[in-house]
Amino acid sequence: MPHLTSDAVACCWIPLFALRCETARRPELASLPVALLSPDDTRVWQVVPLARRAGVKPGMTVSQAIGLCPTLKLCEPDPVHYAEQFSRLVAALVTVSPVIEPVELGRAYVGTDGLEGLYGSPQQIVEAIQMRSAECGMRNFSEGSFAPRPSHVHSALRIPHSALRVGWGRGKFVSWVAATRARPGAAVIVPPGEEAKFLASQRLAVLPLDPDTHRRLLQLGVKTLGALVALPEEAVVSQFGRLGRRLWRLAAGLVSEPVVGRVVPEPIVATLTFFTPVGERDLLAHALDKLVDRALANPRRSEWRVQVVRVRAELEHGASWLVAATLKDPSATRERIAAPLKTQLERSPPAGAVERLVVEFTAFAPGTTELQLFARDAGAAARAGRRHALQSAAREIALRIRRPMLYHVIEVQPWSRLPERRYALIDFEP
Amino acid sequence: MQNGSDRLRAVNVPQPAVVELDAHGSPTKIAMRNAECGMRNSDVREPVTIEAVRETWRIDDEWWREPITRTYYEVLLQGGARIVLFVDLVKQEWFVQKP
Repeated sequence: MPHLTSDAVACCWIPLFALRCETARRPELASLPVALLSPDDTRVWQVVPLARRAGVKPGMTVSQAIGLCPTLKLCEPDPVHYAEQFSRLVAALVTVSPVIEPVELGRAYVGTDGLEGLYGSPQQIVEAIQMRSAECGMRNFSEGSFAPRPSHVHSALRIPHSALRVGWGRGKFVSWVAATRARPGAAVIVPPGEEAKFLASQRLAVLPLDPDTHRRLLQLGVKTLGALVALPEEAVVSQFGRLGRRLWRLAAGLVSEPVVGRVVPEPIVATLTFFTPVGERDLLAHALDKLVDRALANPRRSEWRVQVVRVRAELEHGASWLVAATLKDPSATRERIAAPLKTQLERSPPAGAVERLVVEFTAFAPGTTELQLFARDAGAAARAGRRHALQSAAREIALRIRRPMLYHVIEVQPWSRLPERRYALIDFEP
Repeated sequence: MQNGSDRLRAVNVPQPAVVELDAHGSPTKIAMRNAECGMRNSDVREPVTIEAVRETWRIDDEWWREPITRTYYEVLLQGGARIVLFVDLVKQEWFVQKP
């Protein structure tokens, strides 16, 4: 799969993206204390500053939130709408640079290597990004909602009502930290060579830390990246191992991870419209299997394994439901692709009856040479049953090699520091 | 990690290696089965020069029963291969292992 990379990076970040999507389409919410419920459970997911000031925090139950803020306006989530809005933002960014790496809802990295000839200086590249993304209409909640922060290096153009924050620097980490320091609608640019100086004053929380490591560092009196870098690298490594070395180097500005843009194959979509709205989970799970099968049989899928799959449903009364799964091991088998979706279907089912169900394969991994052995069988397997094809392939391998050579990898102590304790093989019997 | 019916097999078991050290105790040469550094003739052991030590880290574990103390070295071999070695500081023996 061809990859495009770039060392110079602009991080585009819209905090509370889903909530902003709601306030953008329902302007009457703009002046109210609003909280958005999580798509996974019925807890509070995102909160506007006005409600936050009343004590409402993400993760609270609805009753806790209402108890703290009786005027709180709760919104049901609409993940399909948020995904569509984020796609619009990414599409706007693609008009500036072909190297785009979306990270999460509301955050994407833009590679800017080679754009100087088109736009000029980093300030002008950032202005181009701000202007194009402004067309997506993501507005700030209200002026003054966020306390202004000092910009340490250089701030470019400011678009007063935009919610987009941009950070520009060498590598993804520096640009991300710069974006977190930018004011809404503004940008912070870290010139090459000034990364260490810029990072030194930043708080420890900008590092990718687990809570335990964060706590341990604070107990050691390390509160900023500068304080971490002031310690000898070897001392940090002896305390925190390889993670310590990575953290120290990130804090010192020595790590520059490029943006990796991928030439994404077009998504494969399979759709089913029900004659009458369906609410039974068994029926939905069965429909899911059929749609995954249909999408797998698409000729564009051959030689690719599925890495990211989404299921969206259009519900009665105009609501929607969306679940997505990223497969740790990309797969071309129905069971493996459908399993995480069915788990989510059980855990957080649609809030109403489903009128239309859509399965989308949105990201792919190339099939390896070994998998092609099975992929040739897979065409026939779509007709005769994929499991049967796998069983016969496994039997043939056992016959040829005369001993079991197919294994499942199972987790034994995946947390162990001793590599040989983490996983084991068990005979694979399809 | 094999049970009675031999169905469970450990993955990534350390493989013994013979290592030469410099005056500071850092590995300079390693002799192991060629297969482990990606070559054919898997039974032949030939010393390979270690060009650089990229990273070192230490693991202390299971001190409450049979202590395991290891110093790991991620090294670059002559020819470009990158492998991970460790010295068992209790038995003073060297092994090759994937990280």
